[in-house]
Amino acid sequence: MQKKSFTVLLITLAFIIVFFLSVPILKMFVGVGSDKLIETIKDGEVLASIWLTMKVSAWAMMFVLITGLPLAYIIARYNFPGRSLIESIIDIPVMIPHTAAGIALLTTFGDTFLGDFFKFFGIEFVGTEYGIMIAMMFLSAPFLINSAKDGFRKVDVKLEKVARTLGASPISVFFRITIPNAKKDIINGALMMWSRGLGEFGAVVILVYHPMTTPVLIFDRFNSYGLSFSAPVAAVIIGFSVLVFLAVRFATSRLK
Amino acid sequence: MSYLQLENLSSTIDDFVLDNVNLNIEENEYFVLLGQSGSGKTRLLETIAGLNSSSGKIVYKDKDISELHPEQREIGFVYQEFALFPNLNVEQNIKFSSKYKKIDNSKELFDDLVDFLKLGELLKRDIENLSGGEKQRVAIARALFSRPKILLLDEPLSAIDPTFRNSIMKSLKDIHKRYDLTTIHVTHNFREASYLANKIAIIMNGKIQQVGRSEDVLNHPANIDVAKFLGFKNIFPSSLLGFSSSSKFFSVDPNVIHVSNKEKPTCDYTFEATLEDCMGVVDHYKIFVNVENHQFFIKILKREYEGCYANGGNKVFIGFDKKDIGFI
Repeated sequence: MQKKSFTVLLITLAFIIVFFLSVPILKMFVGVGSDKLIETIKDGEVLASIWLTMKVSAWAMMFVLITGLPLAYIIARYNFPGRSLIESIIDIPVMIPHTAAGIALLTTFGDTFLGDFFKFFGIEFVGTEYGIMIAMMFLSAPFLINSAKDGFRKVDVKLEKVARTLGASPISVFFRITIPNAKKDIINGALMMWSRGLGEFGAVVILVYHPMTTPVLIFDRFNSYGLSFSAPVAAVIIGFSVLVFLAVRFATSRLK
Repeated sequence: MSYLQLENLSSTIDDFVLDNVNLNIEENEYFVLLGQSGSGKTRLLETIAGLNSSSGKIVYKDKDISELHPEQREIGFVYQEFALFPNLNVEQNIKFSSKYKKIDNSKELFDDLVDFLKLGELLKRDIENLSGGEKQRVAIARALFSRPKILLLDEPLSAIDPTFRNSIMKSLKDIHKRYDLTTIHVTHNFREASYLANKIAIIMNGKIQQVGRSEDVLNHPANIDVAKFLGFKNIFPSSLLGFSSSSKFFSVDPNVIHVSNKEKPTCDYTFEATLEDCMGVVDHYKIFVNVENHQFFIKILKREYEGCYANGGNKVFIGFDKKDIGFI
């Protein structure tokens, strides 16, 4: 009897949180209605912002794949002074308010020496796609780096050692043994980073209001026209994100 | 000049020190490195393969290879846990080295390995679906396919079901001959060593304690630690036998000690002893007696004796002959 009531309690509590997490998403689609959704999908400004958001988040992800995977590998494989400090630095963006991160980025890459340095190469961060990219990257990179780090830790170092004795150079070992065997965690981390990037608002809005990413567009329409104009945009970006997410998951699950 | 020479080879990683290892290994020798877990056996193998930073010299066929990268040494490595690549199937695992090395007569070699190691059925399988023995055969085939001159085997039998160990030991010997190898085999099991080895080195705490022909090392340990590790029992100072040297020790097999509760046995050495304990185990008794504060361990067959000397504290006589003593 006691056991049964405990089970009921577990299920009830679990149901509450599942309800809380899923209903707003479902409500988004049901509440908006199909006419509004179709109309929004045809709206050029919405489509452009969704494309911009997905594209720039993918850039940010690519940049962190190139720079973050080596970092994750170094942390996973080597013991060196300052390793914990670097691990803490990676985690800081997860803990700070996003608007504060935006301000920090603005004071670093805005009208400063570093900003001028990049301007020399034709790269500006305020009001450009580069600005959106660094804002997304700053706040979502930890998801990819930490996941890749866990993945690399799971790859037995002996696999790499044996591969060396079989003739492979360190770089071949990295690409042919280490990355393929940590693939699952790297892909999960990359997807997580990309989807977190899509949702980034606080830091993006401080660096770049125009061109508008979808979260900024939703905020803008909500502020200017109210709920009925912003909700369909929200529904469409959620729909697109879920589709892309599922497609990538499906494609990668079929990879060996 | 030996085929493979290790000269003052040292390597320190974390807290473990591999300390000034000097070994000479001849061509086509089956060399067994014997030591307990944590003694530095695997570390030494990895150092020979160039996988650890080290000081000292490794000379192979009169050429110093200490500075060569692992991929440039002609060394094959089989780890205890086999370290097969999970992202590749059996055939891809075996052929891994062909991407990086030119393998002479690779087709013939591959077919021969598949045939000799009975891998035909497994080639397209994923490695997670293999048994321990199958994984080992794949790992050996993978190492041999790179045509190494020296094969390093790290505890190759410890992850294998005990029922297959004898047959695998035999195949290891066959592989060594068939592929014209010089093998360095690491183990903690001295029976394995005595069956396989031409030469044995005993390693303890990162230091080589003794090197020699298999039967010499196994029968004449160089010091007490080696003797204890090799399973020698009843190790006592030779002063007990009346010798003046206090630094020498002797050992006597528990199975050859005579014991009687009535009279002194007719042996070269006899002692009066106090019985401390007697345990009946299946077909024999384990008897512990005290002679001048040294505890002797004796094994006697039940069918040859009438019961145990049950009462602790009783006086008994023990004896053994000169020929049964080994000096350390």
